[in-house]
Amino acid sequence: MIRGKAHVLGDDINTDLHCSSKYHPGRDNAYVSQHAFEQLSPGFAKCFAKGGVIVAGKNFGNNSSREQAVHILRLMGVAGIVAVSFGRQFYRNCINNGMPAAECDLAGVTDGDEIEMDLAGGRVAVASRGIVREVPPLPAEVQAILAAGGLIPFLKAHPDWKIA
Amino acid sequence: MGSTIAEKILGAHAGSGPARAGDVIVAGVDFAMLHDARASNALQRIGEFGAAQLPFAARTAFVLDHYSPPPHQEAANIHREMRAFADRHGVVFYDVGDGICHQVLPEGGHFTCGDLVTGTDTHSTTYGAFNAFGVGVEGTDLAAVMMTGKLWFRVPETIRVDLKGGLQPGVWAKDLTLHMLGRLGAEGANYRAIEYAGPAVAAMDIDDRMTLSNHAAELGAKAALLEADQKTIAWLKARGAREPRPVRADADARYCERFEIDVAALPPQVARKHRIDDVVAVPDVKNQRINFALIGTCTNGRLDDIRQAAAILKGRHIAKGVRMIVTPASRNVYLQAAREGLVEALTAAGASVEAAGCGTCVNITGHLITGDGDVVISSANRNFKGRLGNDNSEIYVGSSATVAASALTGRITDPRDVVGGTWRPEPKTA
Repeated sequence: MIRGKAHVLGDDINTDLHCSSKYHPGRDNAYVSQHAFEQLSPGFAKCFAKGGVIVAGKNFGNNSSREQAVHILRLMGVAGIVAVSFGRQFYRNCINNGMPAAECDLAGVTDGDEIEMDLAGGRVAVASRGIVREVPPLPAEVQAILAAGGLIPFLKAHPDWKIA
Repeated sequence: MGSTIAEKILGAHAGSGPARAGDVIVAGVDFAMLHDARASNALQRIGEFGAAQLPFAARTAFVLDHYSPPPHQEAANIHREMRAFADRHGVVFYDVGDGICHQVLPEGGHFTCGDLVTGTDTHSTTYGAFNAFGVGVEGTDLAAVMMTGKLWFRVPETIRVDLKGGLQPGVWAKDLTLHMLGRLGAEGANYRAIEYAGPAVAAMDIDDRMTLSNHAAELGAKAALLEADQKTIAWLKARGAREPRPVRADADARYCERFEIDVAALPPQVARKHRIDDVVAVPDVKNQRINFALIGTCTNGRLDDIRQAAAILKGRHIAKGVRMIVTPASRNVYLQAAREGLVEALTAAGASVEAAGCGTCVNITGHLITGDGDVVISSANRNFKGRLGNDNSEIYVGSSATVAASALTGRITDPRDVVGGTWRPEPKTA
């Protein structure tokens, strides 16, 4: 179960552009993590409290295949992402890098609302607004990858992919 | 209830009975591809894992196609690292100038019908043209495949598109994929597989079928699968692929969406500047001036593309003020184009024919850079603002026939309106 305060972004966020070194050539991930999404929401990264949850619209991470985006989100202290929909590879990158992600519409939620993500149980809730959304529960394999902190640590523990 | 091609191929590779859309499975992979633009991430991940032995190396290809030739020392150093790694572990290797990953994999006979192929590139959907489940992945995924031969997948829902009628001469699979983008929107097939079927697919040669599956990446498709026929099987066998075991969809397969397109009336299409899904018929923009014409990329850099261009430009010259670059998709394509006199015809017509690689796609090597106000017509797959290094230039995307016809006149031109613009390949079997 993940609990964290909402930090809201919009639709069609291209993480290749807004959460990478594209706007910060030659800078390392630590620097970029202080400036991510700056062009969309000035001060977003600086105001982001560790343990927060990004709440976004449709197609979050569209066209983004760079895993760097997820590494930067982790450095920012993002505990999870809830979006109406995700770019396909971005979603894979989230799982493979231990970033919980859930697909549902949290329209009406604003910055600071407390978000609850229960991916095993298949539920996302915002108690203060009376919102409870069902999401498809994650299969055991994907839960195990997330729990291990990503695919590489998962394979270190389970080189044959078998989960007990 | 029956199964789609995606459900059958993924289910067969999971070894746990038929898979259903929505299932998450762990599947054995048949072949994997890593290109230079994603290599540092993947190799770092393998290093983190600390795998001394990579049992899957012999079924992995490294392809040096994006930084081709390398524009800076960092890229040249990645190439050195990839060469050394491939030598050490016995990875299949394609060096600078050998061609684009999505061309050299099928040409090399590395996979066959019914296979599961992962590549670190969204256009890995191309392998679907050969009835293989080709899917784009990232460096961590690729590292996992190289280390274990397996990867997790969510089995996608499938959109079935039945293509009726026949494409007119001068109209190509690219026009059809642009039409699809106009209809569904970019990412309109996100998470899902597409099955293309029907007489229009059967009539297409392999080059055009590869465009059909390749450009599905811009629709967001996870895979774009065609059924195999005699053309597919003959093509694969001629290149030494393993015995093809074609996979067909069941008549009662469940699709999340199904529709039919009568392609007979389809005119050539272009995507207008900055958006690949802002698609109009060529006649609607025919007065648009252009000053840079590009033919190449994994979408449209194959032999039939170069033949189209030469059919239009042979014995003529591109318009004054237009610059044109043609990049064959592979060394094999380049060699055959040279044998057929196409390189000479295009060079004499004012085009520059470059070494094989991803060259004409994006300004990654620095030599495609555009000036303020430049208007580009390209056979590539994407036209984001700034893709050719300048936010103040515009990129239109069309078929190779439309690009060549436009280079000839200096304006966006319907290939059906110029001599040679309705060229068709000779019927061939392999």
